Amino acid sequence: MGILHAGITNSISGANVTAICEKESFLTTAAKAFLPKRIAVYKDYQKMMTEEQLDAVFVTTPIGTHASIVNDLLKSNTTLSIFVEKPLASSYEEAKVVCEAATRSRGVHMVGFQKRFSPVFQKAKQLIEQGIMGDPMFFRGYCFSSDVLREGSAWRFRKNTGGVLLDSAPHLLDLLIWFFGEPTRTMAIKKQVYSSEVEDYVHAVISYDSGLQGHIDACWSVSNFRLPEFLIEIYGRDGILTVTDDYVKFMPGRGSTKMGGAQTYHRQSFETSPPFLLADIDYTMEDVAFLNAVRTRAAPEPSFLQAAKVNALTDQILVSCKKG
Amino acid sequence: MSHLSQERARDRIDKLNIESIVEVICSALSCGATGYTFSTHPTNSRILSALETSGKVPRQFDLYPVVPYAEGYVRLANEKGMTGLVNEILSRLSLSDRAKLLVEGGFSALRLDPAGMLKTYLDAELKGYLSTKPKNATLQSVLLHEVLTDLCLGLGETGMLNVFAQHLRENHHVTPGFVTYNFPRFIKLFQEAGLSLKDVVIMTPFNSLGYQMSPSRESCEVCLSNLHEGSVIAMSIMAGGFLSMDQAIEYIQSLPGLSGIAVGVSTRQHAKDAFAKLAVL
Repeated sequence: MGILHAGITNSISGANVTAICEKESFLTTAAKAFLPKRIAVYKDYQKMMTEEQLDAVFVTTPIGTHASIVNDLLKSNTTLSIFVEKPLASSYEEAKVVCEAATRSRGVHMVGFQKRFSPVFQKAKQLIEQGIMGDPMFFRGYCFSSDVLREGSAWRFRKNTGGVLLDSAPHLLDLLIWFFGEPTRTMAIKKQVYSSEVEDYVHAVISYDSGLQGHIDACWSVSNFRLPEFLIEIYGRDGILTVTDDYVKFMPGRGSTKMGGAQTYHRQSFETSPPFLLADIDYTMEDVAFLNAVRTRAAPEPSFLQAAKVNALTDQILVSCKKG
Repeated sequence: MSHLSQERARDRIDKLNIESIVEVICSALSCGATGYTFSTHPTNSRILSALETSGKVPRQFDLYPVVPYAEGYVRLANEKGMTGLVNEILSRLSLSDRAKLLVEGGFSALRLDPAGMLKTYLDAELKGYLSTKPKNATLQSVLLHEVLTDLCLGLGETGMLNVFAQHLRENHHVTPGFVTYNFPRFIKLFQEAGLSLKDVVIMTPFNSLGYQMSPSRESCEVCLSNLHEGSVIAMSIMAGGFLSMDQAIEYIQSLPGLSGIAVGVSTRQHAKDAFAKLAVL
């Protein structure tokens, strides 16, 4: 993810990538060989912070290291702006410490929940705010991928810092919080399929004080998913709203007063050209938003505080799983 | 293939097997298609072998493989970490390729000569496909995947793009190609670096919606009309399945200087319909 953000950021007018930090010796050597010579390569981020004059830093390290690195960065430079790949931390306790430290900083702070920058999920948010499906009664959502079809050895398969709940489910949970606010209760189960230390599948029932309820499934071991897929389907009194990475669809209920019949919006119909396209438009628009915030000092979204809510929810789900 | 929705793409994959893919390709070639572009996914090596043994290929045609199979490497990096990914790639090389990496690359694994590593990797990646290439197919161009092309563009690093191009020309006698979603930026950086666009294939999206055309449809059109070197192949002409073939052709006809069109088809009938319409161009 680091090299992806470096490529996008460097392409955006007014921004220059001047340094990167990589801990692994082999990759440090490779970075020195492959990257343009104007980009300094460090193995130690403390040294990088001492030697470089940086306006902003992207933290794209393993999840378990986010909190300690961000805390160190906040201490070393009180005007530094920081972007952290999702999730903000590996637990709510860690996230709270980071948020507290960030209050003493004059930089801007953002977490990489790039689904918020996807044109389809933005359209869904707009339609929900317009109340297109009437009062929402319940929802279902999933994030499925074929990323793990055998036991892995990378950090995302280690206890407390990995598993599908911290890896891909946070996108889904952040979207639910973005759409409906913070839920108050969860009941969950998890399952190991291929991994021995972490869960490969999570199922959670999520409830709100408003009476809204729904369930989500997160699994990275479903075969035949060439790319990770996200879906949220919301059942309201006036119809059903479905959003995926590819489209938003509204199906009015019989007797609904909503005019216009069924509506489908494919991302092609309202996606605008980004200034630079690497991998997916969501990443570019996310980085543009962060860099604009760095320039203007406006608070970016999702902020550390907003992202900490996702950590609160993943912790709730884990507690519920342990209770059984 | 379908990019309109992942659900639809999965449904179609379920219905496809090697035999039916061979049928689709042969139908497309019978109806006017002149080449086949594909990723270096392992399945495509099997498709090439099946094309050869089927005896149904109706004509001489060109191959345009896109390297590397990026999704596969991303999955591997997730599974094993970046260091694990590098080790896995090295372990997949034959003993002779590993020896080559150490000797011809100037002990590149030790002092990491990036050019040497890229060349060795490229040779190893292509080896399987060259050995399964049907007799009546010509390797016309090898194209670099858009993720790597555009990453180099983002970092302002044209050195690796040049190494890729030179190696293909000199060692494989093949036209180098690049897939990019940032066509004007690609041309600008190539020209600024003094690199020749002569005998270079550029595969890039062109559709009336401006979908995947960065930074804008207009700037891509201007860039195309001002380009005097290089062969441009339009892709995503139906904007990932959102536009009809008629809509796509109406727009493509208005563009000057395209040397080819890449279009995805998933059934024999689909291939016949698509290439019958494209024949007017």
